[in-house]
Amino acid sequence: MASDSTPVDVNNGPSSPDDSFSSPIGNTLSSSPAGASRQRRRRRSTTPSSEFATPRANRSRFSGSETTPTPSRTRRANGQNGAAPTPSSTDGDVPPSSEGGDGYDMDEDRPTFVWGTNISVNDVKVAIVRFLKNFRDESQWNTESEYLTEGKYIEAIKRVIEMEEGSLDVDARNVFDYDSDLYAKMVRYPLEVLAIFDIVLMEMLPVINPLFEKHIQTRIYNLKTSTSMRNLNPSDIERMVSLKGMIIRSSSIIPEIREAIFRCLVCGYYSDPLPVEKGRITEPTICLKEECQARNSMTLVHNRCRFTDKQIVRLQETPDEIPEGGTPHTVSLLMHDKLVDAGKPGDRIEVTGIYRAMTVRVGPTQRTVKSLFKTYIDCLHIKKSDKSRMLAEDQNPVEVDNSVAGHLDEIVFDEKKVEQLKELAKQPDIYDRLTRSLAPNIWELDDVKKGLLCQIFGGNALKLPSGARFRGDINILLVGDPGTSKSQLLQYIHKLAPRGIYTSGRGSSAVGLTAYVAKDPETGETVLESGALVLSDRGICCIDEFDKMSDSARSMLHEVMEQQTVSIAKAGIIASLNARTSVLACANPSGSRYNPRLSVIDNIHLPPTLLSRFDLIYLLLDKADEHTDRRLAKHIVALHFENPETIQQDVLDLATLTAYVGYARKHIHPQLSDEAAEELTRGYVELRRRGNFPGSSKKVITATPRQIESLIRLSEALARIRFSEWVEKHDVVEAFRLLEVAMQQSATDHSTGTIDMDLITTGISASERMRRESLVSAARNIILEKLQLGGPSMRLLELLEELKAQSSGNEVHLNDLRTAITTLASEGFVAFVHGDSVKRI
Amino acid sequence: MVGLAYDCLANPLGAVRSTFEKAIASGSDPASFDGRDWGAVDLFRHFLFEDDGLTQVPILNSATIRWVQPNTLVRFRGMIQDMLGNEFYVGAYKDGSVWRTNKFTDVPQFPMDTSPDMQLWERRMLYCIPVPGQNSWTESPSEAVMYRSMNSATQQREKRQRLDVEATDNMDCNVSDEGVECSPAKKLKEDGHLQSQESITEGTSSSMIMGPDVNRDSLPCLIKIYDCPESDLKLNEVFEFVGVFTFDPEFKVDKDECDDFANGFSEDVLVHFPPNKVPRLHCFIHRKLAVHDFLPRSPTVEPKPNLVKEIREALLRHLTAILGNDGVAAHFMLLHLLSTVYSRVETVAVGKLSLNLTCFSKESVPVFGSPLCLAMKNLLPFTQCISLTVDYLNTASLAPRKDYETNRLITGALQLAEGSHLIFDETHLEAGTLNSVGVENARVLKTLMELQKVEYDFKFYKLDMAADVKMLILSEGKSNILPADIVLPFHPASVGSSEVAAEALEAWRWYLATLRSLPHSIEPEMQKVIENDLVAARQEDRKLGTQDFSRLLTMGRLMSMSFGETSLSLEHWQMVKELERLRKERLK
Repeated sequence: MASDSTPVDVNNGPSSPDDSFSSPIGNTLSSSPAGASRQRRRRRSTTPSSEFATPRANRSRFSGSETTPTPSRTRRANGQNGAAPTPSSTDGDVPPSSEGGDGYDMDEDRPTFVWGTNISVNDVKVAIVRFLKNFRDESQWNTESEYLTEGKYIEAIKRVIEMEEGSLDVDARNVFDYDSDLYAKMVRYPLEVLAIFDIVLMEMLPVINPLFEKHIQTRIYNLKTSTSMRNLNPSDIERMVSLKGMIIRSSSIIPEIREAIFRCLVCGYYSDPLPVEKGRITEPTICLKEECQARNSMTLVHNRCRFTDKQIVRLQETPDEIPEGGTPHTVSLLMHDKLVDAGKPGDRIEVTGIYRAMTVRVGPTQRTVKSLFKTYIDCLHIKKSDKSRMLAEDQNPVEVDNSVAGHLDEIVFDEKKVEQLKELAKQPDIYDRLTRSLAPNIWELDDVKKGLLCQIFGGNALKLPSGARFRGDINILLVGDPGTSKSQLLQYIHKLAPRGIYTSGRGSSAVGLTAYVAKDPETGETVLESGALVLSDRGICCIDEFDKMSDSARSMLHEVMEQQTVSIAKAGIIASLNARTSVLACANPSGSRYNPRLSVIDNIHLPPTLLSRFDLIYLLLDKADEHTDRRLAKHIVALHFENPETIQQDVLDLATLTAYVGYARKHIHPQLSDEAAEELTRGYVELRRRGNFPGSSKKVITATPRQIESLIRLSEALARIRFSEWVEKHDVVEAFRLLEVAMQQSATDHSTGTIDMDLITTGISASERMRRESLVSAARNIILEKLQLGGPSMRLLELLEELKAQSSGNEVHLNDLRTAITTLASEGFVAFVHGDSVKRI
Repeated sequence: MVGLAYDCLANPLGAVRSTFEKAIASGSDPASFDGRDWGAVDLFRHFLFEDDGLTQVPILNSATIRWVQPNTLVRFRGMIQDMLGNEFYVGAYKDGSVWRTNKFTDVPQFPMDTSPDMQLWERRMLYCIPVPGQNSWTESPSEAVMYRSMNSATQQREKRQRLDVEATDNMDCNVSDEGVECSPAKKLKEDGHLQSQESITEGTSSSMIMGPDVNRDSLPCLIKIYDCPESDLKLNEVFEFVGVFTFDPEFKVDKDECDDFANGFSEDVLVHFPPNKVPRLHCFIHRKLAVHDFLPRSPTVEPKPNLVKEIREALLRHLTAILGNDGVAAHFMLLHLLSTVYSRVETVAVGKLSLNLTCFSKESVPVFGSPLCLAMKNLLPFTQCISLTVDYLNTASLAPRKDYETNRLITGALQLAEGSHLIFDETHLEAGTLNSVGVENARVLKTLMELQKVEYDFKFYKLDMAADVKMLILSEGKSNILPADIVLPFHPASVGSSEVAAEALEAWRWYLATLRSLPHSIEPEMQKVIENDLVAARQEDRKLGTQDFSRLLTMGRLMSMSFGETSLSLEHWQMVKELERLRKERLK
């Protein structure tokens, strides 16, 4: 409305189409001069009739901007009135106290109606007063007596007064619960009903606090029904709607003129503030000073005019609402005052507002209107999609971090959906069904899928008051031959996971994964930029080609995977960022095929320290099995020749699955039952015992404390899958099974066929260690025999020959011998000379 | 305007008006219409399809726009490139005591006062462009469809009171031109004639409206659709729209006004489509076009086995000749040309068969590549050749991108209609650094290749759009940027060229367009055989994976399809295996 601030030509500037861009939210104006208040007050008492009883004026807002006396316009005058009653006012028409809400000064005897309906303004007013005074929350009902507590909104109003805020948020659901009729009227005739709301508030405020001078606006939110942007149609115009979407653009802040002051160029006389009426300001053609009365001498005084902020924001549909083969719809929002800059591009918001349309004129100078209408939403209230809730949670220091609570805030679970999900959870085969539904186009691999399922659901994270933290996230590593659909699994999980980043180890650097410090090119400030792991906080970070990652990048993962933080100490920034993420990694064996004779560590060249941080390690080996081949063949033939819809049934679709996971992660926080704890202990002891072979000194570590943590996490996840608040015994049993399946694959010592956690934790199996030890002692014996102290040295090859001669059964390699000698050398028993000879010292 | 039916062709709005008046007269209340049709569309449907009026409707393209009259019936064939959302307009209003309608027009035909009885209706706006890569043979000889002489010029004038005198003059002269059958020479003359006149008139009138200033080879069009379920029209689909061609001279003025609106925050996407560049079409009837709709001849023949086999042999000979007597390559090429994505299971696009011919070099590309491109152009309706270089990857915008400044979807090279064919010439690709755009482009290409999907960039998120694009890659070695389903070393024996008769070409086009849509199935016994074969193959070679199996099955399907059969026979399966064996041998 820049044109408004230039000396106003009546025919031109103010009548530009955006005039009707005026929101029903009046701006908060400071109190008007007391002198004006009397005159205005008189007007107020008559406004109801002029506003609601004159059909023409009201209706014609459809017809063209220059003749658009929107009710909001009139209402703003009301708003100013509301601010008027100052304590010094002696008019005495401060509204009488409002017991029963009948004392409101409706001057007219005959009832006034909202135009075109039989809704009586008075009735609505009474209903609103009743609602504001008497509405109590359920929680309030529970307290001893309703008479002891004040109504929710009376409290809210008092709070508003205390905080000196400009608006009162009213939950539309409360309105509905209290008075569904009022709710219906409000949604259908928002302009009128909101005006009455404001009037009521205006009259109530002085009763509560006579000193309060501000005008308070009503902001309705949380409508019962939320419209999809796609479904907005002409019948929604002038109704209250609620929309979800993403802000894609916001305009700069536009000052909109509210009151103009003119000065006479001839005599310097300043006019009274002229309010905007019907979207325009009439420039006085004559100087109002009696002595002067110069014609066309008035000019606008910019710096004495009053402006308010206005902003136009474009809202776009969220991706999930876009039908296949469509492009997202957009709608313009008009924001005023407080709402300006309430959201930034990229924010997901829920908007409550009034859908409005305005005509488009052919040209600025022409009165002809096009047959087109532009539509926009006059915003009443904006709710950001719950980022704040998550922040609040993070800020709470003593919080027992409920893992991924607040994770999926964007998904609002309505009751019907929840019922549906709960029904689903009750089915006895839900675990199998979910397993089947996970990546249904990848067949077999059931145990892997079960493990992944556990990962998605996750365990409970625990934070002790002492500050110790136990992660609830389950990390999984998939190792396997090429072409065993590892990447597909990863992609699928990435799609399913509530939040997550998919990255390939090959292209990731340490900083790209964690966080890095960058210099802002403009300000020169150092800023912290999050990497993939930090970004997938409370989600799943999928890392493909884990083995191809550089060592430095991998080493960064140590901290993330156990402590779940990323610490940074660079360029003056020392920070510890949360990275509560589950890691799902997959790696190829270093030779193109997995060599079953070597340990996992030899196969994938990952440091054991890192490997031990994975709860589950699955080997996806491509076994030459005719049965699976046949299934594969059948599957693909079916894929190509049958109606694809019939191939898979009884499988949850992705949307349901996501909702299911989301609900479980948010609302289910299972705890260990005594029985389960018992089982857990028993199982763990059992597992440990397996490493002790009776009558043998050989000690094999079959389980470490890390495993027991994993087991707890897994069984919690399993309980969550069933929507159960308690971890039952069978969950624990299943968790053991899962762990064992994974361990059997990855931690089995192939020379003995037993599980050996040392394979993972150190990379060397117990049997291997025994073998090495015996070699060392054999070598020591030979050296003792053959070499004298300070005597001549002996070549390694000779030593090898000797060894082979002695221990006929075992195959001894030169390398093994060299390691053995090195061990001896470190004991100070022998020394290497000339590289290949050994000398006793 | 009463009397003998309505002149749907020359004065469609008159017809609309009459039906509207009739509907009102019969007692309907416009308020109850709610934008729905009152019989006008039926009238046009009857006219177009039952009275065979469709062929008389001129096709709107860059050539015809010079003489097509505004406010007449036209058709437009194009791909939906962008959806501009809905528009609210005054559907019905009272002019005095008479109800009028604004449906199917931009400008009210009668003075519109602000009255309380205004009815707001809704219409959708689609931005359509000619199908990318459309080959010239697909354009039906629209020039031959002559516009009927307009004897009712008065009628025309009445309706177009707003147009200035020059415009009317212009029209008159057109009328005289149109009486005659249009030979190319004549057309040229007509064009020149028009142009000279334009230059005169342009000087005199600022609101000059004729002579749309359009790009010679691509005429976009803004389609306004009424009463149509949203799911009917999808992005990237090819449609034929029949409707009123309008333009509004006053739109032009509009442009300047818009900037004082909210600090350049343009509300109106239409601003970016000045009507002198983008014509408007108010659509009565639309229909989806498949590839065979683009055949100049309507498909007359049923796929008779003999005929199909003959055509197949001839086409194969032709392909062999073009491919330098490389019979194996020709076979694969044939299957490749017939491929189409016929179903999607999860992320897998079933039915795609991309081909990578290796062993090309910079020298051999001009010898074989160019004739190949030409052959594709002649055989398929939508084809494009892209020479892949580092520079191209770094600069090209492949995936479409949403521009929020203008609220438009900016098209990319990969926004293609269903059934398009792309040739990538990778031989010019040299070592170099890819910037972030390049990396992104390479990724987009790979996704298209593997999943037949293009990620549209909506800045805050990406949106996957399904595509069905056949891709042929010419490269020296196996292409890694574009991992094709079939990698085949190309072994030309001779440099051959083949002269083709027009009838043969038409038969081949028909063959390629029709056969791919045949239904296909498999007998249970055959299924068993295939399964056994696959299992045996896998027992032999552990490296075979799902992709190889998929490829074999797709080939099997296409092979039997190429013979015009609807179920896979053992013979064809053997052929596929033989082909695969030959290919494997070459790869060694």
